[in-house]
Amino acid sequence: MPADSPAAPIEVTDELGRTIEVPQPVRRIVSLAPNLTETVYALDAGDRLVGDTNVDDFPAAAKTLPHVGAVLAPSLEKIVALHPDLVLATNDLNRRVTVEALARLGLAVYVTDPLSIEDVLNSTARIARLIGAGQRGDSAVAGMRARLDALAQRLAAAPPRRVLFVVWTDPLISVGKHTFLNDALVHAGAQSVVEIADGWPQISFEYVLKLQPEYLVFAGSLSEANAPPIEELSKLPGWRDLDAVRNGKIAIVSDAIDRPGPRMVDAVEELARLLHPEIFAPAAPAASKLIAPENHTEVCTACAR
Amino acid sequence: MRPLTMRRVVWTCALLSGILFAVSVMALKLGAVPISVSDLVVSLGRLAIGRTDQLPLDYRLIVFDLRLPRIVLGALVGAALSVAGAGFQALLRNPLADPYVLGVSSGSALGAVLALQFLPQIALATPLGAFVGAIATITGVYYLGRRHGQLDSTTLLLAGIISASFLSAIIMFLMTTLTSRDVRGMAFWMMGDLSTPLAPSLRWFFLVALVVGIGAIYTTSPDLNLLVTGEREAMHLGVDVTRVKLVVYVAASGLTALAVSASGAIGYVGLLVPHVMRFLFGSDYRLLIPTSALGGAIALVLADTLARTIIAPSELPVGAMTAIAGAPLFIYLLRRSMR
Repeated sequence: MPADSPAAPIEVTDELGRTIEVPQPVRRIVSLAPNLTETVYALDAGDRLVGDTNVDDFPAAAKTLPHVGAVLAPSLEKIVALHPDLVLATNDLNRRVTVEALARLGLAVYVTDPLSIEDVLNSTARIARLIGAGQRGDSAVAGMRARLDALAQRLAAAPPRRVLFVVWTDPLISVGKHTFLNDALVHAGAQSVVEIADGWPQISFEYVLKLQPEYLVFAGSLSEANAPPIEELSKLPGWRDLDAVRNGKIAIVSDAIDRPGPRMVDAVEELARLLHPEIFAPAAPAASKLIAPENHTEVCTACAR
Repeated sequence: MRPLTMRRVVWTCALLSGILFAVSVMALKLGAVPISVSDLVVSLGRLAIGRTDQLPLDYRLIVFDLRLPRIVLGALVGAALSVAGAGFQALLRNPLADPYVLGVSSGSALGAVLALQFLPQIALATPLGAFVGAIATITGVYYLGRRHGQLDSTTLLLAGIISASFLSAIIMFLMTTLTSRDVRGMAFWMMGDLSTPLAPSLRWFFLVALVVGIGAIYTTSPDLNLLVTGEREAMHLGVDVTRVKLVVYVAASGLTALAVSASGAIGYVGLLVPHVMRFLFGSDYRLLIPTSALGGAIALVLADTLARTIIAPSELPVGAMTAIAGAPLFIYLLRRSMR
């Protein structure tokens, strides 16, 4: 495929059902969400990213890109001035009015809407094709799928852990059923005790006390500021009455668990190891410290055989 | 109070129009993307002679498709809110009245939340839902606010405040139970935000309705001068109090509905600008209405320029800006007027 000669624009339907026309080849990309920035880098197209938001922090190169502002309130003129061929946005973080305003200015905005791990794999493959990196996309997706399949096999016999994912402690906010995060929990061999709502439900503590989750799950920086150490939780009324707190069953996982992007598989594997130590041989965590993260999974798959 | 002459009205309005023009040109220049004065002058020159096709694409998009419509919208919304505020202050004979005192903003927010939840596929869900919600609230409060068949200031105020808190409670309920992720952006909208350009299909309707609303309140201004001294006194002086109150109620509420539908509930402009104009130019409504319109436009264009640039490239909701600047200014005016 010729890399640099202008080709006919391609027409695609994005994940909100909007029809957009993307000029080809895509040389300049603006990403409006951290997970999409990671995806572009994972597709080896980081050199084509010309702008991202204030909060994009991974990989490190994303921090030095020109920023177009906050996820909820980017500067439209800054985006226009970067002359993007393609703007990537997500229904989960960006506002619909931002997308519509950019589209009115004649920019191609592809909006993702992942509600499951499978959706993320599909959306990665679609973005890869849009930017002419179809092969890289297919191999990246195949790699993630293989790791998820291997993990599913190992967890097949284990009963899912009943967990409470804590987004916020005061008020207590957890995660609803029809979300990407909930699907990530399922893949990590967990089952959220919260059965009641979509989105980010605020949960009454009585309900949690009655359900007594086996584990509390916190996510790195997502709740860093409000994930108190266990000794503090065990002093708080309510929290100290939870079996999970009494037994010290608190899992703190990387905040990538809530990023529908390439690192989600790392985070899912990490959470699975935290929740199912009996399956992942006691030697494995020690080994993992010595081995670089990219080799880590191979080691784990090897010890599964 | 000095007698109001035509000459004074014209000169005052000319002065404020000049300030508005200067502020708008400054707002056109400032933004996240730097544009030099000379480039701006060349661009404006080309626009003036109708040669926009010769402009570099960037300038056309940034200056004329993004900044200019936003400045115009800010000026119109500012004018609408200030005139509505001045109208409500006269109608309710209460210096604390602002365009939202009778629940219009809560009603429109509820309309917008419902439209986003149930009709998300409609592109104009927010402005249309907000407008329908505002009109429904205005109608409801009108019927609740009558006593012996005509609008009673105290009853109207109580009905409005109660409706506002009731509607706000419903919004809180819906925002915790509804699941559409579009609702999340509502927090931004409720604070008041000019970053969303008005849909081109609504521009003319918006402009015409605004001119009609401001014009309607202006025609009642001689009567308002008498009404603020007391209803009975005004009636004895030959004012058709029932009609004037109805006109002001409908026009001020309508202006508020338009403003909120376009940009959410931007606070303080409608409360403060009429007070500042009274402080500067006196309280004759024949001068207060036009100066409030121009002053509101200036204030909101200034506030929005700050909101766009102060933490660029991120943007603040303009409502945060007006509240930060408005509250201290209000206190200052209060202390000054007590001396």
